[in-house]
Formats: sequence, C-alpha cells, structure tokens
Amino acid sequence: MLGSPMISVRNLAKRFGGIVALKDMNLSIGQGTIHAVVGESGAGKSTLVKVLAGVVQPDTGVVRVGDQTVAIDSPVIAGKHGFGVVHQDVSLFADRSVLANLFVNREPLRNGMVSRGEMEARSRALLRQIELNVDVRAPVSQLDMGERQLVGLARELLQTPRLLILDEPNSGLDRHETEHLFTVLRGLRDKGMSVLYVSHRLEDVFAIADQVTVMRNGRDALTKERSGLSEADVIDAMIGQQRDTLFPPALPANASTIRPQISVQGLGGGRISGVSFSARSGEVLGFTGLEGSGVAEVFEMLFGLRKAQSGTVRFPDGHGLPKSPTEAARRGIGLVPANRLCNGLMQDRSLAFNISNIVAGARNWGSRLYSPKVAAAGAARQIDALRIKGRPDAPVSSLPAGEQQKIVIAKWLETAPQVLLLDNPAAGIEAAAKRRIYALIRQMAANGCIVLLRSTEPSELTNLSNRVLVFHRGRLAGEVFGAEMKRRTVLHLTTTGKMPEVEQPKKKLVGTMA
Amino acid sequence: MTRFDPTLQLAGSAAQPKRTFRLPAELGPLAGLVVLVAVIGFARPAFLDQSNLLSLLESAAYPGMLAIGMVFVLAIREVDLSVGWMFHLAALLTAFLLAAGINPWLAALAGVLLGAGLGLANGLLVVALHLPAIIVTLGTFAMFRGLAAVAVKMDPTAAAAQSGELFEIVHGKLFGVVPSAVFVFVAMALVMQIVLHRSRFGYRVQAVGSNPQAAVYAGIPIVQVRLLTLVLMGIISGLAGVMWLGFPVTDAEQGSGIVLMAISAAIIGGTSLAGGRGTAIGAAVGMLIVQVILSGVGLFGIDAAWNPFVIGAVMVLALALDRLLKMQRNRHAARFHKNLHG
Repeated sequence: MLGSPMISVRNLAKRFGGIVALKDMNLSIGQGTIHAVVGESGAGKSTLVKVLAGVVQPDTGVVRVGDQTVAIDSPVIAGKHGFGVVHQDVSLFADRSVLANLFVNREPLRNGMVSRGEMEARSRALLRQIELNVDVRAPVSQLDMGERQLVGLARELLQTPRLLILDEPNSGLDRHETEHLFTVLRGLRDKGMSVLYVSHRLEDVFAIADQVTVMRNGRDALTKERSGLSEADVIDAMIGQQRDTLFPPALPANASTIRPQISVQGLGGGRISGVSFSARSGEVLGFTGLEGSGVAEVFEMLFGLRKAQSGTVRFPDGHGLPKSPTEAARRGIGLVPANRLCNGLMQDRSLAFNISNIVAGARNWGSRLYSPKVAAAGAARQIDALRIKGRPDAPVSSLPAGEQQKIVIAKWLETAPQVLLLDNPAAGIEAAAKRRIYALIRQMAANGCIVLLRSTEPSELTNLSNRVLVFHRGRLAGEVFGAEMKRRTVLHLTTTGKMPEVEQPKKKLVGTMA
Repeated sequence: MTRFDPTLQLAGSAAQPKRTFRLPAELGPLAGLVVLVAVIGFARPAFLDQSNLLSLLESAAYPGMLAIGMVFVLAIREVDLSVGWMFHLAALLTAFLLAAGINPWLAALAGVLLGAGLGLANGLLVVALHLPAIIVTLGTFAMFRGLAAVAVKMDPTAAAAQSGELFEIVHGKLFGVVPSAVFVFVAMALVMQIVLHRSRFGYRVQAVGSNPQAAVYAGIPIVQVRLLTLVLMGIISGLAGVMWLGFPVTDAEQGSGIVLMAISAAIIGGTSLAGGRGTAIGAAVGMLIVQVILSGVGLFGIDAAWNPFVIGAVMVLALALDRLLKMQRNRHAARFHKNLHG
C-alpha cells in the first residue's frame, strides 16, 4: 500500500433531472499517489470533479478527508479543505499578467497597495520548481498552451492544496509539453502531494498514474494499481456489458445508378495535416477523436467555416472546398452543429422561421420575396415527415431537446443536401428521441445522401456507420470497418492513437469486472 | 447532378397546420397613441385642430423615416448613432448643390447617394473591423457632425435657402392639405414593413438578429446582411435629409437629439433592442407617440427647454417596457414549458 487513504468518496449519487450522472461512486486516494480516473464521455467523470470542486452538490454520499466527513458547499470551502482544481480549459485572464493570474482575488498588499514585488517573491520558488521560465509581468496571452497550463497549475499550488485535481489537463498540449507537465506532477507526488488525474487519453494515464479507477455509468467499475493493468483491461471495463438496443437496423439503399462521391486528399491546416478519405452516397462515414484531435477542424473546413492550407477536395458537384458556409449551403453541403442552443436554432422564432433558415436565408434562387405561407407549408411537410411534435407557428423554445434537434436536421432536409455533416447529433437527448434521430440518419443515407457523422460515443459510430475514421493528434490514426467494427477497437484507437494488437484468444478479464 | 426528394418517405399523412389567430404586434402602440390623443385632446381641445395635427404629422415625418430605418438596424442587433448627422449632411449637400444651380433632381439624388455612401462607410468599418455598429458610429457620429459644422461655416446662407423647384416639391401639399413629407413617411412605413416581413432580405435581417451564430451555421450571408442594412439606413437618412430642405441645418444639437428620437420610436413601436424582430409600422406609430407627447408638453405650458429631457425620459420608459415585456414573455414560456412536459 502506498500510504493510508487520505481522501475518500463513498456512495456518491447525483441526478440532473432525468439523467443519472453519478450513482454509488466510490474512490479512495492515498497520500503521495497519482490516481487516474478514466471513462467514456458521459460516465460521470466531470460530475465527480464538480462535486469535489464544490460546484455541484451530491444528492447522497459523503466525502471524507482523513476520518472527517466534510460538506463541500462551495468552491471556497473546497479550497479550505485543500482541494485545488485545474479545470479542463484553464480559466485564465489572457490580457492580464502572469502574476495577476497567479494571485487573482488574493492579491498581497503592502502598505494598502497591491504589491507586485511581494507576488514575485512568493511565487519565485514555485515557478522555478515547476520550470516555468517566463516573464511574469507579461500577459498570459503571450504564453503557449503548455505554459498557460502550468500557470493554471501554479495558481492552485500557491494555495498548497492537499489534493490536486486535474480535469483533462493536456487536451491542448503537444507531446513535449505533456512530458513536461508529467515531470512536474511526478515531482509533486514525490513531495507527498496527492493528485487526481481525470482523462480519457489512455496513453497518458498509463504514463503517469499509480492507481487507476475506471468509471462507467456513474460508478467505479474497476480500481487497480496501474502495474497490474493492461490497456485492454481498462477498455473492457469502460465498455462493460451493455446491450445496444438503441439502434435501428440498416435500411436497403434506394436503387440509384449514379453514386456521387466526396474525396479528400491530404487535407491540412492548423492542427490537422495529411487527412485523406472518401465517401459515397448512401454511406454513413463515422468520425471520432478526442478533444483537440482535429475532427472538429475537418468538419469546419468541409463546411467553409475554416480555411484549409493544403489538400485537394472534390465534392459530388465536382468543386472543391466551399469558401464560406453560405457557399456550402448553396452547393448542398449541410452541417448540423454540435451546440444546438447557440449554433443551431433561433430559439425565440417559430418552427417555420427556423425551417426556412437555409431555403430563404442562405440560398439565393427563387423569389426575392419571403412568403410566410410557403414557409409554413415547408415546415408542415418536415413536421409531418420527421414527426416533430409542434405547430409551425410555435416558438422553438417551447419544444423539448429531441424535437429541437429534429428541426435543425429538418431545415437542411428541406433543401435536399447531397452531403450532410452531423456533429454529435444525439448529444444531450433522451434515449427515445435518440432512437428517432438514429432512424433519421439511416433514412437519409438510404435516400442517397452522403452522411458524415461525428460522434464521441463509440457505440453510435459502430452501430450507425459503415466505416469509422479515428483522429489522433491532428492525424488520421486509422480506419475501422468490417469485422473490426467494435467499440473496443474504436475506443482503443481513439484513446491511444494505435490499432489494438491482434487479440490473443481467451485472455480476456471478464471476471475482474465489478 | 442528381436531386433528392427533400422529404423523407416516412409514414404519416400531411396534417393540416393549425392556425392560431394572433393580434398584430402594432396594435398595442396604436392603442397607446389613440389613448394619448384622446387624453390630451380632452384636456386641451386646441390639440385636435386640423392645423395642429397636420403640423404634428409633418414634424413626425422626418425623424419617423429615420426610425423606420433604425428598425432594420435594431433587428440585426446593432445601433446606428450617426443617423442624425447623415441626415444633416445630405440636407446640406442638397442645399449647396441647389445654391450652385444644379438640377434639383440631380441635387436630390446626390443627397440620397451621399447618405448611401456614409452608410456604406459605417458598414464597411463594422464588417472589416468586426466591431459593433454602436462603437463605430460613435466615432463616425462625431466625424459627420464635424463635417456638417465645417460646411455650414463655409457658406451659412446657402444652407437655409427657402426657394427653388425642389423646395416647392418637398414642401408642396398633396390634395392641398397633406404635406408631401408625410406622404413619403407613410408610404415608407408600408413599403418597409413589407420588405422586413415579406422579402428574403427582411427574413435574413431578422434571422441574423435573432441568433447571429446560428445564422452563420445556416449559411446565411451575415456580412452582406450587416453591410446592406447599414447602407439602407444611410439611404433612408439621405432621403429624409433631402426632404428636410429649407429647414435650419445650423442647429448643432438637432442631429444629436434626432437619433434618440428615432431609437425611442422604434422601441415604443415594438422593435426589440435584443434584435430579431421589428416592425416598421410600429416605429411610425412610435414616432407619432413621441411627437404627441412633445406637443402635449407644449400645450400644457411646459417650456420647450424641457424637450430633450422628455425625449430622454420617453426613451428610458421605452427601454424599461421592452425589458419588462421580455421578462414577462420568458416567465410565460417557462410556465408553458412546464405545463407541456412537467
């Protein structure tokens, strides 16, 4: 054993409305250990972090520090108990100096004035220890991502926490910066600090953690020492024995002799480089990757939201990448964006208004006039076809999430797109509505659309798409299809960037699953 | 290229969309106007004289046109502060050209084009610098005002000439009673109402204001919409300025007060400051309300020096009303949502 359990969590449960985020979660973190928590998205990792940070109150369950039960009612109290949290996207003030960021809201005073000299004196030793060699009076915006992450870390360390909680700390970092961060973390551990490291990037977890807890469906599915675990064990525990009843069967494609195709060769720019793939009409092509893997960029380029620096692309209409979303919409390329509320809908307007978005808003042919009657007829057609539960003149905000998402899809269907990019179309929707969205995706493919489906849920990809492209660190890490099309393979490729090695027969650890 | 059927062949019969009857949004301000006129008319019968009402209509016409343009600007979630001085510069240019002996119609066209050009300058700055129009026009407001001051200093007499062919036209009366500015004002309200609600451009304006981010993702050309809206505002200011011919253009405060009046009128008329919806007819009614209040203030013997205060107070009231209505709507929507799914 590595030291007595210093901080523990017992039977934690939390519901948000109808969604169970945590149920019966247990965790003990020993002193001077780096304890990793992994799990698929939606497993409850971030809720756990929020409970420990005092942002969210659990419904039941206790948090103990030593032998004492503590109630973490607010972030301030979390700080008092010695919990320091470095959040996923470090919340720094980009225009303010490093010092101002380090001491935000705790500025030391000298003679009643904020003293920068005092700040420098107090932080000098720490910054040297974590090897952050930057001009502390320069604004944070001049620092690179790795340095910013270290500033966020130093801000917590200045309060000498008992437990340091890192939520996806290296999603924006390159390999070298990640290595530096890990060196710093190991140094802190050796000085007796406990670290809770939340991630879904397995290679990192295996590089840094002493203990690993796998979360699944809001509970701890497996806790073990890292040395006794293989990547395959962790992935098995992440997936569990769920049955996929959500997914409707594939539909036969409508007979068509012409099979329009999209082909992408060596697409690059920004984070991504050398991305090549092609897709045919009637196909659902899956896309996945962790935050920062470059999938988002590929979608933005294909829809004209972002400029590509290299590569040749041919859409079914024979032209290249659209220069703007407007051009994309006019050429029959649609995007159902990930954030429905701010990117997909005009909440205060009616269904008919929203469904006219592309027909009247983006496209330029037909009449210069806008006819509410035609808009209402179009809306009625889509409401009928997609079985949307709402009247054409009702405001979108009066509908539940699943119905709203159908409207985002409907406004594109109204223009009969040839290529449809779907960015996590079923996220944040309850199960029954998910099933209807899935049926829609199948139907669109069968009707001859090229469907590019981005998802963070491996089960969605393996069940809906013909092939899955997995991105890792800006590159196409691999393509999964046919017999390999399993959640385990996709998850392995997503989290490690490598294809799983050929499975040795009968060496699976089904018995260890909690 | 193959086209696909836009509808999916899923089962189900085409349900007839149920129509709910809704009162037009302009009815509220219109009722307010009627009540105001009735109250003031009852207290001061002189208010209801035909000559007083007509002069009230005429003084509503010029800022009223600006209010109609402002509806479009507010509907894309922007504010144009420079309208008063675009209006003034157009009036000045027309006056100078007339004094120089140019064909009156050409002079009028030049005034409108100047407005369009100034609007374009505002628009280009807004889209090129990715700045809110309220910031850009805060600067151009002062620039245009300065230009007007310089121009007036150059030739103070030409600016207020009260004769000539164009003067006869813009100050002529239709059917012997209705000033032509009033006619243009009413016609503009009707036409712009149709443009806002029944044209593709109007649809785009409302979509961009309702949720700019979603508009981008829907492929709506939002840069073009922003630019066109500010140019439209310039054209309308120019047109109103051309018709302002013969009125004093040397008053330095006038161009500043007129923008407040225009924004107040648009908001009173039912255009939301938060963008996304607007009504040109409502703005016209709103401007009548503002003018009725000002006229009433005069009839009750309050000094005209109070006018800027009154306009400001009306604007603050309109803002409060806009906000309160919005909160009320949100509460209503929340309750509706709860009843539907709770």
